[in-house]
Amino acid sequence: MDAASLYIGTGNARQLRPAARLVVLNEARQKAVLPSPEELIGLIDAVARTQDRNAFARLFGYFAPRVKSFLMRSGLEDAAAEEVAQEVMIAVWRKASYFDPGKAGASTWVFTIARNQRIDRLRRTSSRTADNLLDPTDEPDMPPSGEDIAIVAQREEGVRKALESLPIDQLTIVRLSFFAEKPHAEIARELGIPLGTVKSRVRLALNRLRTLLDSDI
Amino acid sequence: MTINHHPSDETLMRMAAGALGSGPALVVSVHLEGCAVCRNRMAHFEAVGGAILDEMPPVPLAADLFGRTMERLQVVQQLQTKERSVNKHPELGIELPRAMQDCEVGPWKWLGPGFKWSKVKIPGSPDEKVMLLKGRAGLHLPAHGHTGLEFMQILSGSLADERGRYFPGDLDEAGDDVDHRPVVGQESDCVCLAALEGDTRLHGLLGRLLRPIVGF
Repeated sequence: MDAASLYIGTGNARQLRPAARLVVLNEARQKAVLPSPEELIGLIDAVARTQDRNAFARLFGYFAPRVKSFLMRSGLEDAAAEEVAQEVMIAVWRKASYFDPGKAGASTWVFTIARNQRIDRLRRTSSRTADNLLDPTDEPDMPPSGEDIAIVAQREEGVRKALESLPIDQLTIVRLSFFAEKPHAEIARELGIPLGTVKSRVRLALNRLRTLLDSDI
Repeated sequence: MTINHHPSDETLMRMAAGALGSGPALVVSVHLEGCAVCRNRMAHFEAVGGAILDEMPPVPLAADLFGRTMERLQVVQQLQTKERSVNKHPELGIELPRAMQDCEVGPWKWLGPGFKWSKVKIPGSPDEKVMLLKGRAGLHLPAHGHTGLEFMQILSGSLADERGRYFPGDLDEAGDDVDHRPVVGQESDCVCLAALEGDTRLHGLLGRLLRPIVGF
């Protein structure tokens, strides 16, 4: 299987390089087809403050199909992925007041919930365990300052730009690293490339991200 | 407190992706608790996950999924009670990091002269190779190597080997290329949290010492 065919796309976007697809998505976002990062934050806030069901419906409409897609790509069957996606959305509702836009963007926060639910499913433990393990600072504290929120927005934007700038072979490896608990040896087998190549692509991709990190610490 | 030794980028990315075993993940969580620099690095790697989620092509859901979810929210809300974890920790003489609060931690057991260990059990992951180690001041640990990654976070005291000196808050990642002979600092006993990844084994005298007692 070659690297490009591992990429899941839809419609016309399928032919484009992933970086180009990101651009397409960003443009779609700008056309208000999709909620902007700020809107998503506002929707979670509305759920937290007033248990706003309409806001939750919009969050559900945006995230549930993507979380399910992510979980299926991670190896879950359709029904299991839908079940976990439902758990993720229930956690979004239940934990909305813990969401801190001064720490993470909305999609990043939902990603961490999905990741933890996936771990819980694999390890068959209560969700409290993985949550504690991965997020020791998961507590509502002071309301985030505007500055914190701006820093997070800048980080999210910077990370997206860095990903867009990665060559496809590196991006593929980064993506595969996020889809499942796969050791690099397995990724190498799947892509039909030597383990050393996987490792060097990971290193190159991480160097790119590191440049970004160094520039904003 | 200045922290000089941190988890690698690759480890943090695996942690952010949820691909790090729960033993090593526990050690890294303890590190993150005390290291703002790595919390920021981790936030970047998690943002990679957020970006990947955003670009996933949406897949169809069962038509009634939203309705069923709303129904379940009613129930979930009533069940929401704050469970308090019982104290599963014996008197170890140290304050355990918050990230370890749900772990079952055994009492100190003899491992060698001036050398003790305590088994750490992570709920849901009984097979993870995680333990607390305690060495008295000045103790020379037997030279050893590893077949895979060893993660070690210093909780108190200090440790030194051929590669450097490790203080509270430092995390050492030692791979199969590292053969070392750690020595506990003279100033006090040293307590650290250690995890071996997957089927990693220690070789050398320390491995032979640990295996029959610790089981790995």
